[in-house]
Amino acid sequence: MTGRRATRALLAGGALLALLSASCGVRPSGVINGGPAPVGQSAGVGVYLVRHGELELTMRQSGAQPAPAETLKLLVAGPDEAERDQGFTSEVPADLLPVAAVTATTDPPGLAVTMSGAVTTLSATAVDQIVCTVTDAVAANGQGAVYSPVTLIGPDGTRGPRRCPIK
Amino acid sequence: MSGWRRAAARASGLRLRLLLAFALLGLTTTAVVASGSYFQARRVILQQAQDAAVVSLTNELATIYPLHKLPPTQRDLDMLAQRLSGRDGYAVVFYHDLRAQGLTVADPLTPELRQAVRNGRVAWQRVSRDGEPVLLIGTQLRIDRSGGASRPSGIEVYTVRSLVPEQQSIDRLATLAWVTGGLSLALAVLLALLAARGVLRPVRELGRAAQRLGEGDLTTRLTVRGSDELADVARTFNDTAGTLERQVGELRRMEADARRFVADVSHELRTPLAAMTAVTDVLDEEADRLPGDAGRAARLVSEETQNLTRLVNDLIEVSRFDSGTARLALDDIDVAAAVTATLRARGWIDRVHAELPPGIIARLDPRRLDVIVANLVGNAFRHGAVPVTVRLHAEPDWIVIEVADHGPGLDPDVLPHVFDRFYKAETARTRSEGSGLGLAIAWENARLHRSAGQRGSLVAGNASTGGAVFTLRLPRAAADQAATGGVR
Repeated sequence: MTGRRATRALLAGGALLALLSASCGVRPSGVINGGPAPVGQSAGVGVYLVRHGELELTMRQSGAQPAPAETLKLLVAGPDEAERDQGFTSEVPADLLPVAAVTATTDPPGLAVTMSGAVTTLSATAVDQIVCTVTDAVAANGQGAVYSPVTLIGPDGTRGPRRCPIK
Repeated sequence: MSGWRRAAARASGLRLRLLLAFALLGLTTTAVVASGSYFQARRVILQQAQDAAVVSLTNELATIYPLHKLPPTQRDLDMLAQRLSGRDGYAVVFYHDLRAQGLTVADPLTPELRQAVRNGRVAWQRVSRDGEPVLLIGTQLRIDRSGGASRPSGIEVYTVRSLVPEQQSIDRLATLAWVTGGLSLALAVLLALLAARGVLRPVRELGRAAQRLGEGDLTTRLTVRGSDELADVARTFNDTAGTLERQVGELRRMEADARRFVADVSHELRTPLAAMTAVTDVLDEEADRLPGDAGRAARLVSEETQNLTRLVNDLIEVSRFDSGTARLALDDIDVAAAVTATLRARGWIDRVHAELPPGIIARLDPRRLDVIVANLVGNAFRHGAVPVTVRLHAEPDWIVIEVADHGPGLDPDVLPHVFDRFYKAETARTRSEGSGLGLAIAWENARLHRSAGQRGSLVAGNASTGGAVFTLRLPRAAADQAATGGVR
């Protein structure tokens, strides 16, 4: 009786010791999520191009921040050589140019961009490229919020209002 | 119980149980406390290391802003990786398919970490690389847009930092915990031994005292220490022993009084009996001449006076045994010759079948041997049936005399009481020829012979062929000791 009880106690102690020695040292862990990723300033003109079907921010070096309409011209000009080498493309047609400055509208509150070419035939990706580039440019110039909806106005009609899908 | 089993029983006894209980208690407490503090300390060490590494990385990342060019070239990424690699670890930088690494070793990045980073969080993970713990920290670089919004730049930065220093700190903690545990176990065992000794010593003393008491030392007492349960037991033991001693003393005193009374009465009877014997001698001579009833009365008086004289003599003999004044008068004798003399003196020499090998010399009290043999042979004639056999043989240290008859033997109920005083086997016969003390005296006489702590003995039994057998064993070299008469 005593012997069996002692044996059981010894077994329990042994198991405890084994457990302790097994969990010693630095154990691998799962992924631990910290705060949001660091955010910093950029010193360039942001243009949204397409890579593998995804909208992607590129940054052109420039001295001063150009007006949103000027930035749109950079977008229409398409990827440069280095960008093309890395697989960047643009779905915005080369003949599409802004005819006027980007204006703020009140009804609905947002931005309006008047383009020279047809906007109704633009692909959704092309519209997103324009919307994202315009909102970033306007925000960089301190003229509006990044989340402002953008309406594209062309000779054939309007697209939008639409917000930049990239968060 | 054999010595080994007793040792095993003692090993699994109180001491071992106390030892185990203390050891388990110490072990459990130490394990819980040590492991608790160990885990806590480990958590703190790792958390501090991780937090410091994360802060250090984000601080360094803050210095690479503002970003000038997207997409970066391979050279840009390489420079970034070089810049972020340091003494503590190295960096891995991704931009979609592009990849730059501060060191040319396999990176241990896990898919789940990369997913967490793509979700826009700073994330970290401990992994084991070649058995060595490493900390992986990853984050995106995001670009600020006004209004609290930001856009991902597509650049992901990971740092791989070794946790070996932390591992060493933690290992030192573990070693410390083991050492502490071992020390506390040793301490627990020490305390258990002390406690066991404290408990077991009084128990052992109690056991020894009880044994002494059982062996007849009624003056045994325990020293009462303290006022715990064991002290209560000791006190109770002392009270019990005291009562026992008092009562036994009382009994002994009463018994001694009774014996002294018998002895005194016997002695007082001797003088008148001597006178009566003298008178009956005269009466015996005259009896034949006396007419009728007077002659018969004279013979009866003479006979009964002889019986009374024998009884009184036996009583005096018995009271000598009881008072311890019986002494041996030792002499080197030829046992066969002594037995033959006894038989011849009683006129039994022709009626007894004697097997007495000559030349067996023993140091005995010849008078007492004569008393014993005469009594046994006389009883055999009286209660048994012929032929009566007296057989003598010798052992290295003992002589053995067997007296056997061919009667009906002794009743098994009678056997244990054969040597009792005044014990009558046949209850119907209230008067026997003997005094009723003969066998008791023979037994005492046999026991009076001692050698090296062993006493002579007289044993009654039945032969397998029927008939009673009395076996007398006497030491060949009896010593004359101040013998106290055995009490039956």
